Amino acid sequence: MSITVQLTYDMAREVGSPTIQVSGAETVSDVLKLTRERFSQDEENYAQLTRVAALAINGVLINYRRGKKTKVQDGDRVSFVKAAAGG
Amino acid sequence: MIKGYAGRTLTVNLETQEHHFEPLDEEMARLYIGGKGYGVRLLYDMTEPGIDPLSAENPLIFATGPLNGSVAPQSNRFAVVCKSPLTGGIGNATCGGSFAYALKRAGIDILIVKGAASAPCRLEVENDEVRILPAADLWGEGTYATQKALGKKYKHAVIGPAGENKVLYAGIVSDERIAGRTGVGAVMGSKNLKAVSVTGNHKLEMDDPEAFKAYTKTVRELFKEHPVLGESMKRFGTGAILNTTNGRNILPTRNFKYGHYDEGMSISGEHMEEHELVGVKSSCMHCPVTCGRDVEVEGVGRVKGPEYETLALLGSNLEISNLKDINEWNYLADDLGMDTISLGGTISFAMELQEKGAFDVGVKFGDPAGLSELIRDIGHRKGVGDDLADGSRRMSERFGGAEFAMHVKGLELSAYDPRGSYAQGVEYATTNRGGCHVQGASMYFESIGPLTINPQNLKLKADIPIVQQNLGCAINSMVLCIFSTYGMIPAAIHNMDPNSFSHRLLSRLMENMGPLFRGFMGIKARPMVWWEKWLTYITGQTLSSGHLQEIGARIFNLERIYNLREGLTQEQDTLPSRILNEPIFPGTTTGHPLDQILPRYYKLRGWDNNGVPTAKTLKRLQVRT
Ligand code: SF4
Repeated sequence: MSITVQLTYDMAREVGSPTIQVSGAETVSDVLKLTRERFSQDEENYAQLTRVAALAINGVLINYRRGKKTKVQDGDRVSFVKAAAGG
Repeated sequence: MIKGYAGRTLTVNLETQEHHFEPLDEEMARLYIGGKGYGVRLLYDMTEPGIDPLSAENPLIFATGPLNGSVAPQSNRFAVVCKSPLTGGIGNATCGGSFAYALKRAGIDILIVKGAASAPCRLEVENDEVRILPAADLWGEGTYATQKALGKKYKHAVIGPAGENKVLYAGIVSDERIAGRTGVGAVMGSKNLKAVSVTGNHKLEMDDPEAFKAYTKTVRELFKEHPVLGESMKRFGTGAILNTTNGRNILPTRNFKYGHYDEGMSISGEHMEEHELVGVKSSCMHCPVTCGRDVEVEGVGRVKGPEYETLALLGSNLEISNLKDINEWNYLADDLGMDTISLGGTISFAMELQEKGAFDVGVKFGDPAGLSELIRDIGHRKGVGDDLADGSRRMSERFGGAEFAMHVKGLELSAYDPRGSYAQGVEYATTNRGGCHVQGASMYFESIGPLTINPQNLKLKADIPIVQQNLGCAINSMVLCIFSTYGMIPAAIHNMDPNSFSHRLLSRLMENMGPLFRGFMGIKARPMVWWEKWLTYITGQTLSSGHLQEIGARIFNLERIYNLREGLTQEQDTLPSRILNEPIFPGTTTGHPLDQILPRYYKLRGWDNNGVPTAKTLKRLQVRT
């Protein structure tokens, strides 16, 4: 089972790609753990990279579903999304 | 005269070559503030129903408000109002830069241009001096060259070849900013008017200048610390939204067929900052946010870079991922004087028509080849460019494809797919000028802001657009930059963990407080937000949220009855068939549920089932018909 994780710009710079693929995840929580493994051990840096980033599955925020317990399916796209403004 | 206004309007008739000054109508200023509101009232009163928007009978109104001419951040904007040649309804657009400041310093609140000249001309105003001058030597020049030729003594509002050739979505350019939407530039072109140049040294009075000065200092500090106005917009410009809309599946991609673009990151504001940004000079005068992006375009030099809407409509929506291409097309559109939103929406429509074998536009999705030439041809109405210059609605009437012509009332949609942003969809459907986001920006509260409600249920989806459209009408009448409203959400909310339980709770609470929300916004109390305080310090009138909601509703309803008078009906309060019927979210079988929300919207607005404001509503809001 493969999930595409869409990263924030700063996360993408760190791993050299706008997305990563993770497999074996059943929930968003699992996706987060697997994503964390792709980054350096530096906790502070990772916390900074993911700060105030909401999570969405195929565009729908997990907060409107079951939070980090929300189940994921093969082919889903889990995105780290930061708030923004403009127009 | 109420303080904060220059106190006079200037009317210039290009046909008779006459002009006259008149005192500003104080009662109208109280009822409509200025800017867009005042302009719409004038347009309604001055014109007969059914005029041809590109005829001499359509006045072109440049309108400022009480905030203009001050040093309040984000207050260098003017509104342009006329009948729209693109929609046939109300036309209006606002523009930043420095022209608004200069117009007020010339001692003019409102400039009305009537009639049409028999040959290319330009208008020059210096305090009481008004000159109509020949402009044959400038005709055909781009907006950059025109402003350069006119020199630095005056501030200019000009058209490019697109306006001259009456491209129906031509805009009016000032500095490197544009009053882009609804074809105001085509109306200026139809008058043979190439440029308006203004300067002056008129002194503007404020009711309480000391309080204004002290408070403005506080606001500047607040902006500096604010996560949006002081950080994200300042660093990345409006393009910072792109990764957000892409993550939320609402980034227009391939003529709104999809809401996600795999290559999105390479055309984002962050990418621009890292690889393309050379400065922020293209920002508006006195604005500490400096969201303008300067980039280098090969063979041209340093110019204003694309905004979010352009990145999306000329980028993901055409499946183009090379930022340098978009930079160049953005420059071309600015120089020709065209709205990039309608331009992008019309090109993507033509590309899809071509795929279906109904039209040969010569360019295709995902391929930049030929697009620069096509944009030039549109601006000059050459070859197939002549068809595209009429916008997607007229093209769909000629060649078919109405179900994927992405416009409302003829105005191409901006870059937020309503299938993942229901309130924004209602706003598109009901906004009087058509499919536009900056008359309310409902998407901020459901799709891109730091605290959003669920954008895909029915809760608050009529309430948010109403409150936001009213506020937008008031903001566009002061005239202030709509981006100021993004500062309303305090830093504490921005800094919350968006995946936390408390965040979820707050979002749910918000979603369930419809009447409370409208009630709260309607309170006529003390001014709280900066624009309310500025208005109060400048004009001496107490203008709180409740007052502005009332004034905004008055303006919105006046626009509505203008549209009804011009033959628009509730039939036009709709969304493109693709948006209503084609699902883009996994697990959904259809699109936007507009028909489930619209009746409630009409009811809350005080309109009948046909979307007509009732006599009671118009009386309550003091809208004279
Ligand atoms: S925020 Fe941007 S658009 Fe608004 S006034 Fe400032 S520079 Fe101009």
